[in-house]
Amino acid sequence: MATDLSITELSGELRDAINKLEVSGDLETVGIVTRVGDGVAWVHGLRSAGYSEVLLIEGTQGEQVEAFALNLNEDEIGAVLLGSDEAVAAGAKVTLKGTVLDVPVGPELLGRVVDPLGNALDGGPAIKTKQRGLVEREAIGVIGRKHVHEPMMTGIMSIDAMFPIGRGQRELIIGDRQTGKTAIAIDTMINQGRQKTGVINVYVAIGQKLSKIARLVERLKEEGVMEQTIIVATGPADPASLLYLAPYAATAMGEYFRDNGQHALMIYDDLTKHAVAYRQMSLLLRRPPGREAFPGDVFYLHSRLLERSAKLTDELGAGSLTALPIIETQAGDISAYVPTNVISITDGQIFLETDLFNQGIRPAISAGLSVSRVGGDAQTKSVKSVGSHLKLGLSQYRELASFAQFGSDLDEATKNQIEKGQRLTELLKQHQYQPASVWEQVASIYAVSEGAFDKVSVAKIKEAQTALLTRLWTDHKKDMQELTKGDEKISGESKYAKLILKTAQSVAKGFED
Amino acid sequence: MAKLSRRKIAALWADELVAGHDIIAKIAAYLIEERRTDEMSLIVRETEIALAERGVVVADITTANGLSDESRTAIEKFLTVSMNARRVAFREAHDPSVIGGVKIDVAGQQLDATLKARLNQLKSSKI
Repeated sequence: MATDLSITELSGELRDAINKLEVSGDLETVGIVTRVGDGVAWVHGLRSAGYSEVLLIEGTQGEQVEAFALNLNEDEIGAVLLGSDEAVAAGAKVTLKGTVLDVPVGPELLGRVVDPLGNALDGGPAIKTKQRGLVEREAIGVIGRKHVHEPMMTGIMSIDAMFPIGRGQRELIIGDRQTGKTAIAIDTMINQGRQKTGVINVYVAIGQKLSKIARLVERLKEEGVMEQTIIVATGPADPASLLYLAPYAATAMGEYFRDNGQHALMIYDDLTKHAVAYRQMSLLLRRPPGREAFPGDVFYLHSRLLERSAKLTDELGAGSLTALPIIETQAGDISAYVPTNVISITDGQIFLETDLFNQGIRPAISAGLSVSRVGGDAQTKSVKSVGSHLKLGLSQYRELASFAQFGSDLDEATKNQIEKGQRLTELLKQHQYQPASVWEQVASIYAVSEGAFDKVSVAKIKEAQTALLTRLWTDHKKDMQELTKGDEKISGESKYAKLILKTAQSVAKGFED
Repeated sequence: MAKLSRRKIAALWADELVAGHDIIAKIAAYLIEERRTDEMSLIVRETEIALAERGVVVADITTANGLSDESRTAIEKFLTVSMNARRVAFREAHDPSVIGGVKIDVAGQQLDATLKARLNQLKSSKI
């Protein structure tokens, strides 16, 4: 009797019906490989294949090679292989997996090095997670987003003071080779561990030398940050399809934390190589080349990826996904195709200059060309109060300094400005792996900008800064711990301002000429 | 003139075949003219799919030791029902490497119930 049926019986009957159908209709749709080469297979048949659907190709030894469909033509499918093309021969049987690409996601991945398909690369046990996440997933909509308002401290003074980054922001790190792009990203990851922010780091190496990744893993372990880090690694020898998938797969892993009310930081190192891998795939798939031989959808390639970074509303758990994509330029040309694309997608950029790097100004951040479009709201009150004039002062100094090279007859005001600029520049130099906490940043910048170190020679600024920080920490540890919370505005009459200034003046005496 | 897709050629050929016209010479001439003779096997495959859509099924049966009449009837019945076919034709092949069982290839679909396939399946699931 239909009325007697309970829901459990219904589901049981449905299952029976499905089983019956599966047994009786065992005919599966198959296609055949017509051509294969350069990591691309052309398949005949499989009319029901969907875009980005996973295909299973029977290898020469009976093994299965996965591929995903990217070109759906009337007569054939162009699919990109996820494994070696040597195992695939023309005439091989192809079936549909019935799913699009997904990867394991969840806290089980923390501390692991994986490939873009979620296979362990660190020699550890196979990764088993409760959940899987879609590699290609639509970005969250307008209603689900909130404005960026919490700080993502990098620990790099010049960034936190001048170009603050907020949780949920996309901030591009751009510069020529060997200018310290990755170093900034790594310091930011380390800072999350040092400051115990609880932010999960996801580092994506796209076609990076494996030795470099190994070094990075070692360093992160040394710093104790590896437990809150996932590394998605692809090397130069991996097929272009894996390089292409790496940032999307890693974003799926980061999104898990975003959607569970946590905060994650994505580092894409680097998107230039990603665009090149996609160009290779596109050209092999016979898609028409455009500017610099990139396909027409290279903008969409990066915009859909970076749009997945977001700050979620409280209703959705208030999690966030911050992105630090890296782009490598050629001879400082930021007007090339991929750099301009990514600059326009992101919420600002940190521009690194070779000249500054070679002058010993490291991190070699250009004050004039760098910008953060949304981070201002996210900056902590204390850093904001001391850093507000820093950018302007530094840009003016750089301009004056180049102008002053032509003559030595300068008026007193200009001379002062140049000297202050030199001190600030010196102050903002920072060694790698030494991210600064909020109180260290506030105290250092406030001391120099208020003139406490005006009588200290430029060469001794760093020493004086170290002495100041040591003194403050030993004598006023409680106050500094309070200051690190960042809620206090630091200006003339505030308790901390007076404390810093007084200590700085007494420290400066020991460094005067 | 734009290149005619294989699917269109196959549809035309299948229509003519079902209507009982033999246009094989015309197709051959067209392929030579268009220098597309290397697509021959794909067009044949596509035509088999087009024929199946029109109720005429040509099935490739691969076994290790040949088919018994009984199983042939069973397969014919199975294909008639599952493919909704009016006519079923067989092309039989022997391949000792399948070890046992039967493999049916029909118009872009396949039923692989051979021992070889099962073994492969077992091998990959073990990994």
